[in-house]
Amino acid sequence: MNDTEILARTRAYVQETFLYMRPDFTLGDQDRLLARGVIDSMGVMELLAFLRTEFGVVVADEDITESNLGTLADIARYVTAHSNGNGKKPSS
Amino acid sequence: MCGLAGVARRVPHGTDVPLEMLGRMAAALRHRGPDGSGHYSDGQVGLAHVRLSIIDVAGGAQPLGNEDDSVLIVYNGEVYNYLELAAELSAAGHRFRTRCDTEVLVHAYEQWGIGMLSRLNGQFAFAIYDRRSRTVFLARDRFGVRPLFVSVSNGTLFFASEVKALFASGEVDAALDPIGLDQVFTFWAARPPRTVFQNVQSLEPGTYAIWRDGELRHGRFYDLDYPEARNEAPSDLDTLDTLLGSSVALRLRSDVPVGGYLSGGLDSSITCALAARQSPFALRTFSVTFDDPQLDESAFQRVVADQLHSKHHIRAIGSADIAAVFPDVVRHAETPLVRTAPAPMYLLARLAREHDIKVVLTGEGSDELFLGYDLFKETALRLFCLRQPQSRIRPRLFDRLYPYLDAQARRGDFWRRAFLDAGPPDDPLFSHLPRFQLTSRIKEFYSADMKAALAGTDAMDELRASLPPAFAAWSPLNRAAYLEMVTLLSPYLLSSQGDRMSLAHGVEARYPFLDPRVYEYAARLPTTSKLRGGGLREKAILRRWTEARNIVPPAVQQRPKQPYRAPDIPAFFAPASPDYVADVLEGSNIARTGLFEPAAVQGLVRRCRSGAATGFRESQALVAILSTELWHRQFISEARLEPSTVEAGGA
Repeated sequence: MNDTEILARTRAYVQETFLYMRPDFTLGDQDRLLARGVIDSMGVMELLAFLRTEFGVVVADEDITESNLGTLADIARYVTAHSNGNGKKPSS
Repeated sequence: MCGLAGVARRVPHGTDVPLEMLGRMAAALRHRGPDGSGHYSDGQVGLAHVRLSIIDVAGGAQPLGNEDDSVLIVYNGEVYNYLELAAELSAAGHRFRTRCDTEVLVHAYEQWGIGMLSRLNGQFAFAIYDRRSRTVFLARDRFGVRPLFVSVSNGTLFFASEVKALFASGEVDAALDPIGLDQVFTFWAARPPRTVFQNVQSLEPGTYAIWRDGELRHGRFYDLDYPEARNEAPSDLDTLDTLLGSSVALRLRSDVPVGGYLSGGLDSSITCALAARQSPFALRTFSVTFDDPQLDESAFQRVVADQLHSKHHIRAIGSADIAAVFPDVVRHAETPLVRTAPAPMYLLARLAREHDIKVVLTGEGSDELFLGYDLFKETALRLFCLRQPQSRIRPRLFDRLYPYLDAQARRGDFWRRAFLDAGPPDDPLFSHLPRFQLTSRIKEFYSADMKAALAGTDAMDELRASLPPAFAAWSPLNRAAYLEMVTLLSPYLLSSQGDRMSLAHGVEARYPFLDPRVYEYAARLPTTSKLRGGGLREKAILRRWTEARNIVPPAVQQRPKQPYRAPDIPAFFAPASPDYVADVLEGSNIARTGLFEPAAVQGLVRRCRSGAATGFRESQALVAILSTELWHRQFISEARLEPSTVEAGGA
């Protein structure tokens, strides 16, 4: 899976999960998810579960930061760097 | 415990207040008092009462008067120090006809007027009709254990223990108050005096109101206060022992057997243990257990019941049970809900009643008084971190919060940021911002009409503006405790999970931790006596006391606070879920009610059905929307007038 696909899937997930009840809300790839009220503390938990099941990416504690997960673009970049190209976590 | 209702005209009319109307109002409250009913009516005032006999079973019928019936009362509740007050009033020359606490209130009113209220230790709501001055005096206890609603319609006052009795009069119209609803979706409950109904007010806890010449004047007899001591006093542990012992002893005063709710947590274990020590008979204890192991506390319940040698009764609750009783739960709560947690309390009260217990002790209030909730820890941690924003170590403490949530997910800086960015420490609502913000996400489902109706209003701003002058001087944790008392304990826990659920089955709950002496003791303690260990050890002094006096088993003594939760989405989307769920959530029905956006609700339903919706955010949205629609049908769009307990033209 390339980074464009990862970004598209993540965007679709955020739309379907957090924004389906707000059809007028436009979310740019660089928009901050916390600051714009898209996700909250409980939303972070849901997002991490999605990354685990969808891409097989288990985010390490020290990586659960705003710079890695703060925007759609950040998430796509992080997932691309931590998956082995087929959407599954690289075996260690 | 009982239910009361009444009507007061501005001035006397030529015809009495119709008994038929009073009978309809009483009928709407019959579940609160299945043991009897009574009425009084004259040209100005009508009173109705339904009775659950607990003290002076033979002699306590209401309305009840003084020596010459110039003062009449209808009363719901218990005044536990009535024997002491009766002795004082007898010494002052008052003569008693019954052994009932109700009569003590009548004479206390004659003796002290409004000043009587500060002398009462109990949970009460009452209406006293003074025929000499043609006034009606309404009052409600300090913490709002017992409810009292009022409405002035066409110059006439209507009052009752539950809103449904006001509507049963046929003179008070049921209409939605969008601001009240918006408060539910911010704080979990409308804030007294506001309710979710237009032109229906809840008397605020610790206040009274006097109806005279067509005007209702309000006053306050009790203020919550936190005069926090700098240090714990050497005698504080002994004082706690004396106060809780006395509080439980007073609450065992009853002419019928008293039982206890047992959750398996520290607080109800304490109240049951103290009751078992003081009771000459084996205590009966009652618990709910859940199929879901994440919610179940039965192992701890058994440990406590075994130690107390109580006769222990259990009601196992599955998701289907929640769904089956939910419409009844909403009807009794009279408000939309954001949690299903009242449903197990409804089933628990039914269990007690099935075993002929109509009085139970419960542990509510302890978490507010002794800082038991995770919200207080969260507040302490947020303050601690925000004092040194550069620290990389401090935020790691957040990983120890909410241990019952998925450990894989409640980690890391991003999770912490959600708490740390919620708002600044100088915001008066600082402690509650994460919860209020999370709850407010329900509002994303509002329809355009609902948004328009709420334009220019802000539930949180209104709360900020209503805070008492002393608030700013309290410590941050005491501010949090106050907010918890006024936004959650009184209007939600004591009402939707308390009074309404237990009295749906004619069961009276008594709250030893909400004895005013215990509250005032706790409010004076330094917060470090309650929350210790860097803010991570809750109810510290209570644990020290239980350990020193060997009150509860060690396993329960050291057990971290377990939040009380019940199944939600799975309850309503199991294969065998009841038909009403699909019907209520159907797009055209949602559109007809007009409060939520049908397409958004359909999105939620789809996600619930497919199993995609699993988090708090969507659980609370589902429960909120479902309960709102049920509530709207029951009270507004499909409401029916109650048949009267008194036949038309009858006495």
